[in-house]
Amino acid sequence: MPRHSRISLRPRSPRWRTASVWPQRSPISQPARMLVVFFSDVGTRCSCCQVGVWIEAGSRYEDTKTNGAAFFMEHMAFKGTKKRPGSAFEKEVESLGAHLNGYTSREQTAFYIKALSKDMPKVVELLSDLVQNCALEDSQIEKERGVILQELKEMDSNLADVTFDYLHATAYQGTSLAHTVEGTTENIKRLTRADLASYVDIHFKAPRMVLAAAGGISHRELVDAAKQHFTGAPLTHKGDSVPTLKHCRFTGSEIRARDDALPLAHIALAVEGPGWADPDNVVLNVANAIIGRYDRTFGGGTNQSSKLATLAVKHNLCHSFEPFNTSYSDTGLFGFHFVSDPLSVDDMMFCAQGEWMRLCTSTTESEVTRAKNYLRNAMVAQLDGTTRVCENIGSHLLHYGRRIPLEEWDARISVGIRLFWLGYLSTVGVSIVWP
Amino acid sequence: MLSVAARAGPFAPFVSAAAHAVPGPLRPLAPAAAHRDRKVPLDLKRPLLCRESLSGRAARGGLVASASLNAPASVRCVHNDVAVPDFSAYRRQDVQDASASSQGSSDSRKGFSYLMTAATGVATAYVAKNVVTQFISSLSASADVLALSKIEIKLSDIPEGKNMAFKWRGKPLFVRHRTQAEISQEAGVDVSQLRDPQHDLDRVKKPEWVILVGVCTHLGCVPIANAGDFGGYYCPCHGSHYDASGRIRKGPAPLNLEVPFYQFIGDDTVVVG
Repeated sequence: MPRHSRISLRPRSPRWRTASVWPQRSPISQPARMLVVFFSDVGTRCSCCQVGVWIEAGSRYEDTKTNGAAFFMEHMAFKGTKKRPGSAFEKEVESLGAHLNGYTSREQTAFYIKALSKDMPKVVELLSDLVQNCALEDSQIEKERGVILQELKEMDSNLADVTFDYLHATAYQGTSLAHTVEGTTENIKRLTRADLASYVDIHFKAPRMVLAAAGGISHRELVDAAKQHFTGAPLTHKGDSVPTLKHCRFTGSEIRARDDALPLAHIALAVEGPGWADPDNVVLNVANAIIGRYDRTFGGGTNQSSKLATLAVKHNLCHSFEPFNTSYSDTGLFGFHFVSDPLSVDDMMFCAQGEWMRLCTSTTESEVTRAKNYLRNAMVAQLDGTTRVCENIGSHLLHYGRRIPLEEWDARISVGIRLFWLGYLSTVGVSIVWP
Repeated sequence: MLSVAARAGPFAPFVSAAAHAVPGPLRPLAPAAAHRDRKVPLDLKRPLLCRESLSGRAARGGLVASASLNAPASVRCVHNDVAVPDFSAYRRQDVQDASASSQGSSDSRKGFSYLMTAATGVATAYVAKNVVTQFISSLSASADVLALSKIEIKLSDIPEGKNMAFKWRGKPLFVRHRTQAEISQEAGVDVSQLRDPQHDLDRVKKPEWVILVGVCTHLGCVPIANAGDFGGYYCPCHGSHYDASGRIRKGPAPLNLEVPFYQFIGDDTVVVG
């Protein structure tokens, strides 16, 4: 499951004459020419706005030696730029009363600022400074090493995330998707300024960046601000070597991390799913909505709409479960994750896989209708607030090359769902963290 | 499967780890005998880094340590450092390339696996069936008993006109070397007049040799050879007359004498049964 939600919103700007249209299906394979700017008209009465830069860079673009550079870079980005060294950058952001945040995931990195709408030009300038002029001071780098290592230790206690990291490590073993976003402790200790600088140099290029904004700002103003501050953004790669993604091979495999001190087992089971641009994703999301989710705080007892949840309650199979459909540019993981007592792991696995099999043959019309409505609801609810809308824009542009409007989602969901693909359920990757 | 090594518990006094550094190899473990004789002094100035004390600092639990005899010991701090080993030595050719999708070859790989499984299953079933039948058939009659069911007769020992009796399957077996006169006489008999109509040639393979089971079909006595009114056999119990072909001619018997299954092996031998 992605650690961070992705929302982005951007309109097309016909005035931005050097903007090009990203190819619909494979944005990673063709280099676009220019930074693409999008904006959403959430309503000019909205007094705040969110502006962010979404960059097509992440742990998937790293190799074993540089794994962790993206995460390190995210830390360093907030530690000052050439124009605003040290804590001057953060102070300036805070003096606006704005929130600065960022995240790194396997295929994208984002930096965004939420501020008042009137401060938008300043915010755009700050962002341009951040992505183009990161200071990368040596003293800060050394300090950050310790911080990041401590953060790694703390992340170890989030067992759900650990399970998913293990799932990626085994399912995509031998490929770059197996890397964790944070990197290994060895790399964290070893990465130098030169490594980070070269990482920035390769990936923080205009064709791989999206400036997204949402809130009470006007499109024209945004475009002007972007023209002013991002014109200097580097366009070409050294030696014309555009970083492209190789396909990541999925290996049916299993990893079990045994730890007798844990009271509960965390299990993630996945099969290879389609990439972002594949229309099958809608079907798989409907399937996930049919499977439903459950945890012990649900009040329905044995009267749950999800058949698997009913079983889980009746036979006390698990503490919680949820299905997931994680997508990357050309591959994905479709599966479910559950937390249970160590003695009911077998039963829950059996029931969950039985639910998959049931989906292949015996879903009812009412279930599918319910799931479709749930999915429609979720799609709309996802656009609740400028932060999420902005994230929606940024992600969509990076994944699909365009922003998919709600009407299109609705149309795709309404199409008759054909028979659930048994073909997806062929190879399986399993990750188990259990006592 | 990848298993993470044991906890630091028993090695606690010997594992020394700084907060972020990976320590060197473990000190050699004291053998149990030496441990009894010589107490390990507890250095109070040095902090005892064990699971309990470290868990106060670490976010979760204690350290995870692995120790082995001839490899450096390591302390893994976080799950990020767990690397799935390279299994290329075990991979099939189709999935060696990490940048090629495994979907394309999945059908052929699965097909191969299923084919091998099916073939092995068939072969195993065949072998299992053979083994089982061998063991069970060892409970049935042995070869010497089975050999008793057949009899091999040397024909040159029987002169013309003579009838020899052998014991076969507990019953008398008559082998008669017929003369030409007898043969033609039996061939000329009107079949429609017989109680059990059978032509002589239907009862023999070679006309000069007639092989019969010497049990009267009336009530089971043994007929006497070269006796009776028809130049064949005569049963003294109730007076049944058989001819030279073993057919009933007169008397109470209902059927002709039984002709067993026999085969001529070469010119001189017949195997009956």
